[in-house]
Amino acid sequence: MSLIPAILLGLVMGAVFGLALEKARVMEPGFLIGQFQMTNFIMIKVMLSAIATGLVVLAVLHGLGIVQLSVKAALVGNMIVGGLLLGAGIVFAGACPGTALAQLGAGYRDAWAVVAGGLAGGYTYGLYQKEIDRALDWSGMGLGNLGKMTLTDLLPGGFVTLALVFAALIVVGLIALERWRPWRVEMERHDPTGGPGRSPGIATGYAAPAE
Amino acid sequence: MSILSARVWSPYAAGILIGLLQIPAFLLMNTALGASSSFVTVAASIASVFDPAVNAIPYFKAHVSTAKDWWQVALVIGVALGAFMSARMSGTLRPAMSELWGRVMGLNFPMRLVVAFAGGFVLLLGARIANGCTSGHGLSGLSQLAVSSLIAMAAMFVSGIAISAFLKRA
Repeated sequence: MSLIPAILLGLVMGAVFGLALEKARVMEPGFLIGQFQMTNFIMIKVMLSAIATGLVVLAVLHGLGIVQLSVKAALVGNMIVGGLLLGAGIVFAGACPGTALAQLGAGYRDAWAVVAGGLAGGYTYGLYQKEIDRALDWSGMGLGNLGKMTLTDLLPGGFVTLALVFAALIVVGLIALERWRPWRVEMERHDPTGGPGRSPGIATGYAAPAE
Repeated sequence: MSILSARVWSPYAAGILIGLLQIPAFLLMNTALGASSSFVTVAASIASVFDPAVNAIPYFKAHVSTAKDWWQVALVIGVALGAFMSARMSGTLRPAMSELWGRVMGLNFPMRLVVAFAGGFVLLLGARIANGCTSGHGLSGLSQLAVSSLIAMAAMFVSGIAISAFLKRA
């Protein structure tokens, strides 16, 4: 696709993404940290729903041979250290790279600092990519590059079967999770913009959620 | 319009909608949903204004050349626009800073900016080292049953859970 249509498509898709992130409150710093503290499970509910949907979508599109998968190589050291830093960054930024932009749109002005720090962080990796990747190449310990490995390389059944099985398992897990922690209760308890029972003041900021 | 002006959605509805975005991503862009490499595209483009030699660095060169790179930049800008529209239509525009930060870390706004910048730095450094973030690995990678994404997301939850345990309850 050429540049201008790609940009227009990106804007439209992003707007849908941002809408969903705001409506589900999964861009709230309190919801991300709340998930890590296991007091609020809305983030994992959104993620798993999106993953299950993606699995079904790709089972169909890839199963029919319409699209190629776009799997990232498993450089074990990079995945572990990068993932650990990512988790630490989410806690202190109160955002992931995508949700930082949703926060910014929703009005949180500290998200500008997250984005600025993110630009500096991404730039820093680009400058020192060779050195960092060399340090994280743990081939000597047998933890080098596993390549573009997927679970289809480890488990029986092709992609379509495995994708549908995992999607089904996620749905079962979500049904159990919803019984244990109904989303409306979590939303009512943790939504900083206030529920119908509270009165959010747009100009004055929000009342602290009741404990 | 009531869907757009609704204050909140079910997390399942939001998740399904986000998952469906993989259809145009794969069909039209031959790629999966992601967010973090756009930070490299923008940072490298800004830096190249001051120092054109930046474009010669291989990692930056690989992030500023294709329509796919700018599609993702547009995507994250669209995320901000979509969140703005959503909050605007439902009357949930946020204050300058979540009151959470005072509660869990004892931060005022200027101190929050410092922590936010440092957090953003670590966030994108980690995402680029892992070659993906919560979107690229968490949503897209796991939707493809990628082993790389399983490792990266497990590591993300381990450190997020460990560090959050030292904070007051969110």
